[in-house]
Amino acid sequence: MNGTDRDGGSRGQDRAQARAPEMELIREAQGGSRAAFDALVRQYEHQVLRLALHLTGSEHDAEDIYQEAFLKAYRYIGNFRFECSFYTWIYRIVTNLCLDRLRRRKTRREDRAVIVDRSGDEIDLLASVSDDRSFSNPAKELDRKLLGEKIQAALDKLTPRERMVFELKHYQGLRLRTIGEMLNTTEETAKNTLFRATKKLRTQLAGLR
Amino acid sequence: MNCEVAHERIVTGAYGELPDEQTHELERHIAGCPDCHREREELLALKVLANAHPVMEPTANLVARSRLRLEEALDALPPKRWHERLGQRMMNNFASLQAAPVAACLLLVAGAGAGSLGGYEIAQNRAAHTAAALSATPQTQTGQPQAGPAEIANISSIVRQPNSEMVEVRYNQVVPQRMEGSLDDPAIRQLLMLASEDSASAGVRDDSVGLLAAECRAGHGCQGAGIRDALMVALRYDKNEGVREKALQGLEPYVAQDVRVRDAVLEALMNDGDPRIRTAAINILEPVEADTSVRQVLHTVANSDQNPQIRTVSRQVLSRVPEIQ
Repeated sequence: MNGTDRDGGSRGQDRAQARAPEMELIREAQGGSRAAFDALVRQYEHQVLRLALHLTGSEHDAEDIYQEAFLKAYRYIGNFRFECSFYTWIYRIVTNLCLDRLRRRKTRREDRAVIVDRSGDEIDLLASVSDDRSFSNPAKELDRKLLGEKIQAALDKLTPRERMVFELKHYQGLRLRTIGEMLNTTEETAKNTLFRATKKLRTQLAGLR
Repeated sequence: MNCEVAHERIVTGAYGELPDEQTHELERHIAGCPDCHREREELLALKVLANAHPVMEPTANLVARSRLRLEEALDALPPKRWHERLGQRMMNNFASLQAAPVAACLLLVAGAGAGSLGGYEIAQNRAAHTAAALSATPQTQTGQPQAGPAEIANISSIVRQPNSEMVEVRYNQVVPQRMEGSLDDPAIRQLLMLASEDSASAGVRDDSVGLLAAECRAGHGCQGAGIRDALMVALRYDKNEGVREKALQGLEPYVAQDVRVRDAVLEALMNDGDPRIRTAAINILEPVEADTSVRQVLHTVANSDQNPQIRTVSRQVLSRVPEIQ
């Protein structure tokens, strides 16, 4: 038996135990402890950067979102009432900042149906991609990069909210209920938004199958 | 299940959010619907395709840069002033209370209960002290009762001992009290005057006004304005005609010498609803020197009183005008 297998009850207990020191950190941070707040930042900074980086595609933008999110958290940590997890609370701040960023930004990438590779040949991105690509093949690496850009372009065509829900569900693996909490909406609304997002993406990426 | 619902559940199911019973139902539908089968295949392909844009872990440089920039920004923030910290602490405490409404309610109930109990104990101690002081000195010639009128809730009974000047007054403060003394005792008189205004019991008012009036008719120290005022109030306002009649009898000795008493009697003659009292008011009018108000009232009563006997008596009195100067 896998030593890491556990039933739901003991997992819940572990979660509760893990939260206990976090609650102490939060209370100390609320009391003005900078060290406690720094410890909280270290717990969540990777997740925040990962989300911001994938959403914006820019390290500079991700850094800005990181800065704004944690400054806001520092300013308003006194208002945290333990009604949800600190993780949800922080993510709520980050997702709102990301949504603002997505709404403000103009399309930065051009939609390219056909691009030119290093040898000068045109590549039709709408052509199907072979399954037997090798990562060690530079040409195939380029194909992957271009494919990624195509997908990014399709994602950019979603509304900010659809983009956020798809990001949190598909890429971050969060539950729809948690996504609803973070976006201050219901699980049902989050589910409908996900449905719309996948439908649009399938339309955009139909030729890439 | 129709295909529209199936399409939505395909998305939910692909991301592990579909309840088990709906998953089974969906599988059965897909098995028999080529369109929905294709729909699911395309969604699964989309998931694979989307992974071609993978989530990248932030580089160590990015993390370090971000952390450094944040620390600089936090260091640049001005420290919170004492009132901001205090306000924050109060909000946190209030929020803790908000998060424990039952505890907050219990706290309020306990506080209110403790306050009420403390007040009751203090009042009881004070009443016990007052009763002890009063019982130690049953007859007092001067001074006010230990318990002021504001502290006495009501008078419950007045009993005069037969053939005696001694009166027992039972009254209520926080707990029932009892006082016994002579009719000449100012404390007893004060209680009797208080009893004359007791709106709850006509019997208590009747007893007290009767005793006060008897004292006045006997000439026992009604020179003070307090007793006459109490009798005039009873004459003017008491709803019980028996009480008003006794008050009138008590004021009789003072009609001639006290203008206020005369005016009260004249008001009773004009306005009292009981003809017996109006008749008694006429009878106790004594000749006064150059008092035109008496003649004017008698004229009015002689012309307009509803009771013919009172009109007649008034005319008879007026005919003796030379006797009323």
